[in-house]
Amino acid sequence: MPRATGLAQAVQLTVNGKPQQGVIEPETLLLDYLRDHLELTGARRGCESGYCGACTVLLDGQPVHSCSVLAVTSRGSEVQTIEGTDATVRLLQEAFVARGAIQCGYCTPGIILTAKALLAENPRPSDVEVRVAISGNICRCTGYVKIVEAIQAVAAQMTGSGTRAVTR
Amino acid sequence: MNFAAVGRGIPRRTGAIQAAGRAQYGVDFTLPRMLWGAIVRSEQSHARIVKVDVSRALAHPGVKAVVTGQEAPDGLYGARLRDEPIFAKDRVRYVGEPVAAVAAVDADTAAEAARLVKVEYEPLPHLFTTEEALREGAVLIHPDLGTYFHRRYDCHPVAGTNIASHIKIRKGDVNEGFARADVVYADAYHTQAVHCAYIEPHAAVADWDATGKLTVWSSTQCPFLVRSQLAIAMRMPVSRIRVLATAVGGGFGGKALMKIEGVCALLAQAAGRPVKMVLTRAEEFTATSVRHPFTIDIKTGARRDGTLVACEARLVIDNGAYSQAGDGVCWEATIGASGPYVVPHQKVDGLLVYTNRLPSGPFRGFGWPQATWAFEQNMDGIAHQLGMDPLEIRLQNAVEEGSISSTGEALHSVGLKACLQAAADSIGWDKRVKTPYRGYGLAAITKLSVPFTASSSFLKINEDGRVHLLTGAVDIGQGSDMALIQIAAEELGFSPDAIDVMQADTDSTPFDDGARSSRLTFHMGNAVRKAAADARQELLRRAADIMEVAAEDLVVQDGRVSVVGSPGRSMGIGELVVQSHWLCGGPILGRGSIADDDVVPMDPETGQSPHVAPYFEYGAQAVEVAIDPESGRVRVVRVVSAHDCGRAINPLAVEGQIEGGLAMGLGYALMEEVHFEEGRVTNPSFMDYLLPTSLDMPPVTSIIVEGFPHKDGPFGAKGVGEASTIGIAAAIGNAIFDATGRRIKDLPITWERMLEALEGDG
Repeated sequence: MPRATGLAQAVQLTVNGKPQQGVIEPETLLLDYLRDHLELTGARRGCESGYCGACTVLLDGQPVHSCSVLAVTSRGSEVQTIEGTDATVRLLQEAFVARGAIQCGYCTPGIILTAKALLAENPRPSDVEVRVAISGNICRCTGYVKIVEAIQAVAAQMTGSGTRAVTR
Repeated sequence: MNFAAVGRGIPRRTGAIQAAGRAQYGVDFTLPRMLWGAIVRSEQSHARIVKVDVSRALAHPGVKAVVTGQEAPDGLYGARLRDEPIFAKDRVRYVGEPVAAVAAVDADTAAEAARLVKVEYEPLPHLFTTEEALREGAVLIHPDLGTYFHRRYDCHPVAGTNIASHIKIRKGDVNEGFARADVVYADAYHTQAVHCAYIEPHAAVADWDATGKLTVWSSTQCPFLVRSQLAIAMRMPVSRIRVLATAVGGGFGGKALMKIEGVCALLAQAAGRPVKMVLTRAEEFTATSVRHPFTIDIKTGARRDGTLVACEARLVIDNGAYSQAGDGVCWEATIGASGPYVVPHQKVDGLLVYTNRLPSGPFRGFGWPQATWAFEQNMDGIAHQLGMDPLEIRLQNAVEEGSISSTGEALHSVGLKACLQAAADSIGWDKRVKTPYRGYGLAAITKLSVPFTASSSFLKINEDGRVHLLTGAVDIGQGSDMALIQIAAEELGFSPDAIDVMQADTDSTPFDDGARSSRLTFHMGNAVRKAAADARQELLRRAADIMEVAAEDLVVQDGRVSVVGSPGRSMGIGELVVQSHWLCGGPILGRGSIADDDVVPMDPETGQSPHVAPYFEYGAQAVEVAIDPESGRVRVVRVVSAHDCGRAINPLAVEGQIEGGLAMGLGYALMEEVHFEEGRVTNPSFMDYLLPTSLDMPPVTSIIVEGFPHKDGPFGAKGVGEASTIGIAAAIGNAIFDATGRRIKDLPITWERMLEALEGDG
């Protein structure tokens, strides 16, 4: 958490549907604002350079690396973190668990939010489209195979085009 | 055998918590009044420390403590060879080595103050390559090597040199072997430094209580190893140190040993407040550890019919400045240098060599990916010389049940040939068509699990009939928790749903050697199985007393203890446990443990032993590649990975391990490299260090080969966690040769390197 500089600005934004009035230092990253001020710790730092995607949140519905976004620039925006669950997120969470798409789990919240954004725009993506969508989220554990499967299972479920039952 | 719980792909128990973002990793852990620590790191590769001036840092607002090597305890820690201090004392040996540390009110202040510590150095000659370090008269990186504590049976430092360990295999008569060979293939291979690149950086919180007891919460794979290394380095008894494992955001070996816990503890002690440390990604790259780079000279000899007769190899291993498990890597890779083949005459030397750069350390595969890169390409070299099919020569020489290994052991539980055949069949080996710039490659895989480790567990049956499994094992994502639950459930006759695994805590969970070397399913699995059998017996003994029947007439099923042949005479387990407290006294607590008591240390001169390691895992990988001759890009079209893990306790988790390890193997083969210039890491970020993304993964077929259960494994199971990382680079190398007739000998196979090979004379 950066120290007070006297330059803090009053910022209004919506986080997980709740209005937040923050007094935020100009150099505070959105990630740190969420973690340190709001105690929403599902977004996590992995690389501090916008490459790994462990810090992914949705900013007005679009996935962003919150380690590369200044909190003050999200003024007036809607932020969704993994804690702000909804129907799609819940389905993704269940599918990720059931299909073994989670190992260490550190990248999972970021990937689930990225997948939610994808499915909102493209309800029936091809495997390649899924892979392109999540290519900004590094998972070092799974090799992505089961992650793609889980996202596709939810896509099928949500569009009513049938889903393969998990039989294990 | 029919199982109720074993063999089912049950999803991980913590999945819902992880998916909700609620798992508490090291980076998430906090305590009231907590300070933040930052490390002052050496800017020199090799230098004497003349003076450390901390006055400006101490005067910086918000700073609560500064610790340097001068006042830090002087214990040296390490895996088998103890050569590393928590802070450099009189000399630094690599750029990035901790020299001092600062605790302050927040992370930014700590980092700022760390930059204010002034260290005066007197440079020493530095050694950046193993070649320089092996030269006669080279400066000694560890002049006191001869006095260091080391485990004697698998680590042999050579005092007065930069050789941290020299491991030998002398089997048969290698000269006679080569004399009998009709063809000989010799080549030299090199592998690069890569980073584990777990996404959660190292994170720890340390706190001391008023009696001087230290508690550390760490994102660690091995809490008991961290505890013992802390105790050795800080010269404290282990019982005065408590280590708890947080959730771990990826480990892969990189979080097996003590890293920041010692620094954190010393800062907390000096400040009198809890201190948290989280490494930056740049620190991860410059100051944790990398996979050991190898230079391998290997010569293989075979008869005209393809029978291998001799192998001679020299492995020179870049240890970096300290032996963070380099000793073990050297030992394992030397054993593995000739591959999982019957080779009667062998001479192998593994040399672990100090250099002035960040330490090499444990990394999934532990020396076997490097050794495999060499011997599996040599196998294809021999096959090519003989005009044999690469699959055929492998099947002809592959070890099987009863084969004698490089270390003279009659092997058991060997599914290698079945794996080779399964991988080849699945990729369509026999139907492959020769197409320009397309090729197929195979690699055989083996790895041993490190010997002389131990696991133990307690199993407690609670008053609601549920079970708490107490182990020091940490599920770092690999799925050990559910595997252990399934093993316990099978043995107890309980539902897996009724069993929970407790968080590893060195104060209350019993001893374990950690999540490393693919060992938990085998070792902790055995310990848990025994604990479950013990608890079940105790449950039945008490049920017999309470229900006034003979224990032999009782069965456990569906959460009840029932009398055989008397329908209606049964008691719920919870009810039994409650009554047992009042009628019999004490909890129902099973205990179980396993030690590698049948493992025999190898002869230091010949490397021979009747049983060198608890078990060997086997596998085979097949790839199809397509090469773009314009750019040099090697595209992996398809991968098949077949694995003998004895028995898959949880096929979903086994598949996950295969797929994930394979992705890591692909990164190692094609993309990843930590670059150095004058001993300094020049690409310490994910921007400059490429990791496989979702777009880099080819279609994957995972095959679990069963039918070769291990007699000592729980329900026949062995480990599988490291196997799929091991063979992929060599399989790609062989596929490239198949496609182009060019052999790449240095990793990674970058576009440039491929292009160079295509443009060269072949």
